[in-house]
Amino acid sequence: MVNPIYIVAVLLGTAFLLGLFRKKGTGIIALVALAFPVFVSASWFFHFLSGNTEVLNFFTAGAKPPFSINLQLGIEEALFTMVINVLGFLGYTYLYRDFKEQGIKSTVLFLILIMGLNVLIMSRDIFNLFVFLEIVSIAIAGLIYLKRGADTAIAGFKYLIALGVISTFLLIGIAFFYLFSGTLNIDDFLNSNLPAVKGMSMAVFLILMAILLELKPFPANGWALDVYQAAHPGISAMISSGTATASIFLLYKLLPLSSIDWLPYISIIGAITFIGSNLLGIAQKDSNRLLGYSSVGQIGLMLIIIGMAPQLGEHFNLIFLTVFISHFLAKAGLFWISGIIKKDNIRQWSVLRKNKLLLFMFGFFLLTLLGFPPFPSFYGKWQLIMELAHGSQFIWLALILAGSFFEGMYLIRWFGFAMKEKDESEEKLTIHWEKMIPPVIFTVFVMGASYFANNSSDYGHTLNLIPIYFVIALFLLDFLPAFVKNSLVIASMIIYSILLYPDISDDTLRLVFAGIFMIGGVLTLFAGYSVKGKREGFFPFVVMMYAGLIGLIEAENLFQFFFAWEIMTLGSYFLILRGKKSIKHAFNYMLFSLGGAYLIFIGFALSYFGQDSLDLSIISATTLPGWTYTLLAIGFLTKTAAIGLHIWLPGAHAEAESDVSPMVSGILLKAGAFGLILLFLLMGAEQSEQHSLLYILGWLGAITAVGGNLLAVFQEDAKRLLAYSSVGNLGYILFALAFMTNVGWLTAITYSINHFLFKTLLFLAIGGVVMRVKTHNMYEMGGLIKKMPWSFIAVLIGIITLAGIPPLAGYGGKWLFYNAVLTKGWYFQGALIFFSGTIAFLYAFKLIYSVFLGQPKDKFRNVKEAPIWYLIPQFILMIGIMVFSARPDLILKPIGTMLSQSNYFPTDPLNWEDVTATTNLGYWSGYKIMIVIGVMFVVLLGWLMIMSRKAQKIKQFNIVYAGERPFTPGTTHFSHNMFSNYYKAIGFLSWPVATGFWNGVNLFTHNVADNIRRIYSGNGQTYIVHIMIYTIVIYLLMF
Amino acid sequence: MKLFEIEYISLIAGFILLIVGLWGIISQRNIIKMIISFSILDTSVHLLLVAVGYIRNRTAPIIDSSVNKLNAANEITDPLPQALVLTAIVIGVGITALLLTYALKLFRQNSSLEINQYKSLKW
Repeated sequence: MVNPIYIVAVLLGTAFLLGLFRKKGTGIIALVALAFPVFVSASWFFHFLSGNTEVLNFFTAGAKPPFSINLQLGIEEALFTMVINVLGFLGYTYLYRDFKEQGIKSTVLFLILIMGLNVLIMSRDIFNLFVFLEIVSIAIAGLIYLKRGADTAIAGFKYLIALGVISTFLLIGIAFFYLFSGTLNIDDFLNSNLPAVKGMSMAVFLILMAILLELKPFPANGWALDVYQAAHPGISAMISSGTATASIFLLYKLLPLSSIDWLPYISIIGAITFIGSNLLGIAQKDSNRLLGYSSVGQIGLMLIIIGMAPQLGEHFNLIFLTVFISHFLAKAGLFWISGIIKKDNIRQWSVLRKNKLLLFMFGFFLLTLLGFPPFPSFYGKWQLIMELAHGSQFIWLALILAGSFFEGMYLIRWFGFAMKEKDESEEKLTIHWEKMIPPVIFTVFVMGASYFANNSSDYGHTLNLIPIYFVIALFLLDFLPAFVKNSLVIASMIIYSILLYPDISDDTLRLVFAGIFMIGGVLTLFAGYSVKGKREGFFPFVVMMYAGLIGLIEAENLFQFFFAWEIMTLGSYFLILRGKKSIKHAFNYMLFSLGGAYLIFIGFALSYFGQDSLDLSIISATTLPGWTYTLLAIGFLTKTAAIGLHIWLPGAHAEAESDVSPMVSGILLKAGAFGLILLFLLMGAEQSEQHSLLYILGWLGAITAVGGNLLAVFQEDAKRLLAYSSVGNLGYILFALAFMTNVGWLTAITYSINHFLFKTLLFLAIGGVVMRVKTHNMYEMGGLIKKMPWSFIAVLIGIITLAGIPPLAGYGGKWLFYNAVLTKGWYFQGALIFFSGTIAFLYAFKLIYSVFLGQPKDKFRNVKEAPIWYLIPQFILMIGIMVFSARPDLILKPIGTMLSQSNYFPTDPLNWEDVTATTNLGYWSGYKIMIVIGVMFVVLLGWLMIMSRKAQKIKQFNIVYAGERPFTPGTTHFSHNMFSNYYKAIGFLSWPVATGFWNGVNLFTHNVADNIRRIYSGNGQTYIVHIMIYTIVIYLLMF
Repeated sequence: MKLFEIEYISLIAGFILLIVGLWGIISQRNIIKMIISFSILDTSVHLLLVAVGYIRNRTAPIIDSSVNKLNAANEITDPLPQALVLTAIVIGVGITALLLTYALKLFRQNSSLEINQYKSLKW
């Protein structure tokens, strides 16, 4: 093994020699010199990893302290020097070209920087640490000016002055430390057991405070943000990932010096930094400065974790390392990408779309930062939240998730800009290959880290990662034509379903939802065959969404459930984002989903409180039922879009692509319904103290049903109409579930199946129409029945089911529903639902009339029928509707049996005699109704045909305008402004109150962020004042 | 009177200079004056370091004719703080030089040395 002292020797020596010779090829020499420390520290790291635990202590100048400096290399030091050295090597590769233009000086500074960081980690001598902190500061200050200009110069000046003041604190601290302890060596001090004196704690306070200030805590960090913004992104990457790493290790190393318990204060400092910095990021437009805010925020999170170390126990390593490595890799990667595209405003990042690899890496790093599964920090955050809940640190848990949510807000918005904002730059993106290597390598490292995080996590082995591997494979196969990938995905889903079937065949409830997810998935994918070309970036996300959905079904513990939930959210977000005008709606969707997911997260954590397993059943045994159930319910309601939380839905579903809308509306919404069912099952029917929650949810369901349907009536956009109708339908499901009776649940299940069948059908049919006529506005359509007869039939069947008209399944749902209402006695809410059912007639009529009946428009004279690939799944769905209408017992009977036999709802079951269902109130047979109505239909049709055999057929233009020609014929269409009379009467009910409320919240957050960030006045002196006030405040808090 | 002993005088002077330096950094608008204030701040710390290491009635830790080599440990002051001061001075010089370089760059680009005029980076 090479003695690590040679790291210092080689870097320093090379720096000196380069200065002497100034020959060509210095870049290569520097690279070799930088590769050497990577080799040394990595070999030591693996040496320690393979079981050697003896810590290496070595000395400078061949003497013992105090005449020399002692350095230490254990597994921690080896790990941190290794990551820094890798960063150094790649960072230099990235800056190779810039350094070549600048000449030798910057290379020398860079070598010195890396050397300094290595010593900071290994040295055990306090004064030596001061010296190398200064060396690092000077090197950074010099490197800042790599990008010339007044901005960088002033940023460098502020940086130096601020660090000058900070290092003054440090030096005074060191002086008095020496005065009271007589040593500068950390180990000597720790071994000496000196009595604690007041002056000593003051000295240590100054030392630790200086290190903390180096970590740029909010709000004493204006100087650092300016540097992030002004410096070359390659240098910012070194500051954000390199020096921050060294500083945080330094803090960790020096903390034992103090006789006072600093940990609580470090957590508080971290929390203020994490929340404050991320909040302020929301108002930020400059990309590098935004990355700076995010960097500071992540350091805050690490500080929280360090401060919480005693509570986290054995999990500390996993939590800290995953959060650290995510930040380290992703932040460097993002700064590097920023340097490649050279755009300051986050809106201009749409230029990323010119290079698929860059776009991919950008999204990849953002998700790494956000801690989505399967990225490393997901495992860390999960463990962190769970351990905090276990130790009843509920406030911390809420603070951490609040900060993460703020971070999510700006990172997701940024990603939306990159994906969707108009790209106005004309010039080609010039990319030097050596600048691409480092981010690519870090992407691979993130994957590796994810793998290790999964293996080290307590519950990682319970995850089913096959779908994730399939997603990765699809990314690699993205060059194939769409139909090949489509077939591949369909085949894999079918195979997966077949393999899954034996596992869940005895649990009918899960089977029903698995059927909705998987059969629905395959059917909607059929429509994708009509897309030509490659359809890049579609299939991986489709699989991700369905993998998440089926993961919910398979989940046996909370971890699996949350993992699947996040995967599903992520996949659906990308799918929704693909729509042409989806940027805003996808953002809303993601924010609500993220908020909902965090509520679910807290709910899970609360139920883990005081328990030892993560099994789903711990939710039933929770010691905090009120909070747990309420939070979980609200979390799931964001997905089912209950009124008030629904504002993301109409836009997201309506603006999605034609074949994505049925996926997200007909199928994805059921994830929320499934979550609710699971929650209610675990709550148990006998949880009497939850009656008020259920009562409120019942009301919420009823209001949602009325509100959703009412809003649907006043839509001119066909897809929005369907989207609002989904809001209403999910309201029914929620209402019926809240009954917590046998028949109520059967109603809910029936509605779930019905809604899946008819909404998927309607969205496919309307999607096919929209594809042909290229507009969503119904008043621009009309008379399409002759052009698209098959689509007409589909829509007709769809709305008959939707409106609950006999003989189709919707009617069965209604019958069950009235039974449930009468049994339960919720008459008033039941009346509301009855009212909303009437409203449903209005929009169902509007849909079929405006689109298919009336006068055909001139411009649609040559419109063709929807693509065959849209019609096939529609007809399969129609068959499904027919079967379920005639034989509902096939599904409802086993579920009813299950509900009765288990101890959920044993009373008042639905009794089946053959195909006839009976309750105390009456009976219903889908089969007989089908026959009766069928006969009536045939008779009436025949009668009509006989009666009208002499009728004259009228051509479209066989009419007379009464001397007037309308100038805007579109507006004279009957369906334009249809129901305006109703609007006059009850339109006030459809005023966008919820949208207004959430807009207000959004505006308020923005304003708060925008006002607070003005403390960073730009004046270097203000920043110094911040530092001093901050220090004094912390001092007053501690002593 | 203990207060007028050399180590206390230098300690107190050190603290006074410290406050003068800090005050100068946050109150002087001119960048050169800020740098001078920084130098004062730096010097104050050096003074404190020396004061901390001083042991009364002893001589400088330089082994020459005035020190008995055999009894050096009892005749000289603590050598370590003095060594530290030397290092700190060197570092201080480095930082001051870099600060002045930046001042020069700023003056060449904008012909102004008022810190108030450089506020383009903010919020």
